[in-house]
Amino acid sequence: MAVLECKNLTKQYGHVTALEDVSFSIEPGRIVGLLGPNGSGKTTLIKLANGLLTPTSGELTICNAAPGKETHAIVSYLPERTSIPLWMTATQLLDFYQDFYKDFRRDAAEEMLAHLNIPAKQRIKQMSKGTREKVQLIVTMSRAAQLYLLDEPIGGVDPATRDYILSTIIGNYNPEAAVVISTHLISDVEKVLDEVIFINQGHVVLQSSVDEIREEKGMSVDALFREVFKC
Amino acid sequence: MLRKLMKHEFRATGRIMLPLFLILLVTSVGANFSTRGLLETDNKFLDVLGVLLVMAFAIAIVGVCVMSMVVMVQRFYKNLLQDEGYVMMTLPVSVHQHIWSKLIVSAVWFALTLVVVCLACFIMAFDVGFVHQIAAGFRELFQEICRNLSAYYAINGTAVIVEFLVMCFVGCCAMCLQFYAALAIGHSRPNHKMAWSVLSFFAIQFIMQFLGGMGIVLLDESWFHHLLLGWTDNISGMASVHLGMVAMILGEVVVGAIFYVLTTWFLKKRLNLE
Repeated sequence: MAVLECKNLTKQYGHVTALEDVSFSIEPGRIVGLLGPNGSGKTTLIKLANGLLTPTSGELTICNAAPGKETHAIVSYLPERTSIPLWMTATQLLDFYQDFYKDFRRDAAEEMLAHLNIPAKQRIKQMSKGTREKVQLIVTMSRAAQLYLLDEPIGGVDPATRDYILSTIIGNYNPEAAVVISTHLISDVEKVLDEVIFINQGHVVLQSSVDEIREEKGMSVDALFREVFKC
Repeated sequence: MLRKLMKHEFRATGRIMLPLFLILLVTSVGANFSTRGLLETDNKFLDVLGVLLVMAFAIAIVGVCVMSMVVMVQRFYKNLLQDEGYVMMTLPVSVHQHIWSKLIVSAVWFALTLVVVCLACFIMAFDVGFVHQIAAGFRELFQEICRNLSAYYAINGTAVIVEFLVMCFVGCCAMCLQFYAALAIGHSRPNHKMAWSVLSFFAIQFIMQFLGGMGIVLLDESWFHHLLLGWTDNISGMASVHLGMVAMILGEVVVGAIFYVLTTWFLKKRLNLE
């Protein structure tokens, strides 16, 4: 059973089409890169999967259910921006996640906070932008979800932290789950991906496994991306 | 889940409201010192201090009342429609639970604001000469009422107080929901979300007043009005008070329900977080 499935999905904002007739499915146990230039429709797709937007037409399902209260319990979402309540301390944020998600692994979250030397009693508002993003990633990856939707997880952090974030994603996700990573920083994430979906101007232009790209086209995902999206 | 939402809502709002309540109570003690003597001394410094303390008390009362309103609107706006909305609207809870948690918590803070303002006024008036005389007057009035109290007035009086409290609660909820509906409508737009929200608020206000006015005009000539006129000879004054209160409560419930449906529909179907 596909964890995430889109059938002829279209989303329009007024007269602007953000996604048009998008169809694909993602199976469990895969780490999928949702890759495309800025404004290609990646964030719109992830928002639709989280029920933050309603499709204009077509269908999007998560484990055969439309996005809603039930799917929120099995999807762990990392938004592109810092959206955790800033007035909370890290400990209060863990309390919050523990209250609402049965699959939240508090011990894993506390271990990651300690590993990154993030003071649990400090207010998130007092932390740097990068630290806030780390805290947000920690609570997202501390869930044993069935689908992780990570929107630009490495966009705002330094290269050293990028490696830590990617190893956190690999080390903490449930192997039965699927991970979707939306980014345009392909060279950084390429090493962790099983599969890629190229998206451009609201259309899926390619869905392929990373091994197929390397074997059949004889190039890296980054090189293929540069070729496909050449300006 | 509603209980958990309310717990975190109280935690988020309490950090603002509780210090304000504390400030109000502290200023009420200052105002009490002021009315008990500072304002009547010959010392200029103490005189000015007395005036400042009374002013601080008045500002604190206004501040607490205004802030309870601001917190009600701001929590809905920031928590559901701004950045925090990405976390809140992807929790495994329904939109109904989100709205009820905000409504109940806001109503509780409104009620607590009323209680704390009354308490602050009592503190301010504690042991003040002229207030003693007023209190004595009320005591006499109360004793007189108790002497002449019959079961009829006791039951109806209690019923009217209960009806009044219910009306206040429903009215608070309807007022909150009008703000929520306006914000939800405004934030469904792609641009100028706050401007659309303000516009929606006044549009809703205008439509409600227009429909209310039209309703009164239409009812004036309707069978319902004639029915009510027919009752006037057979209905007691107390019964008409109850009837009026129940009618007002039902009216507020209907208005609140319209705002509630609008808010939930826009949050479910037209949510458009940037």
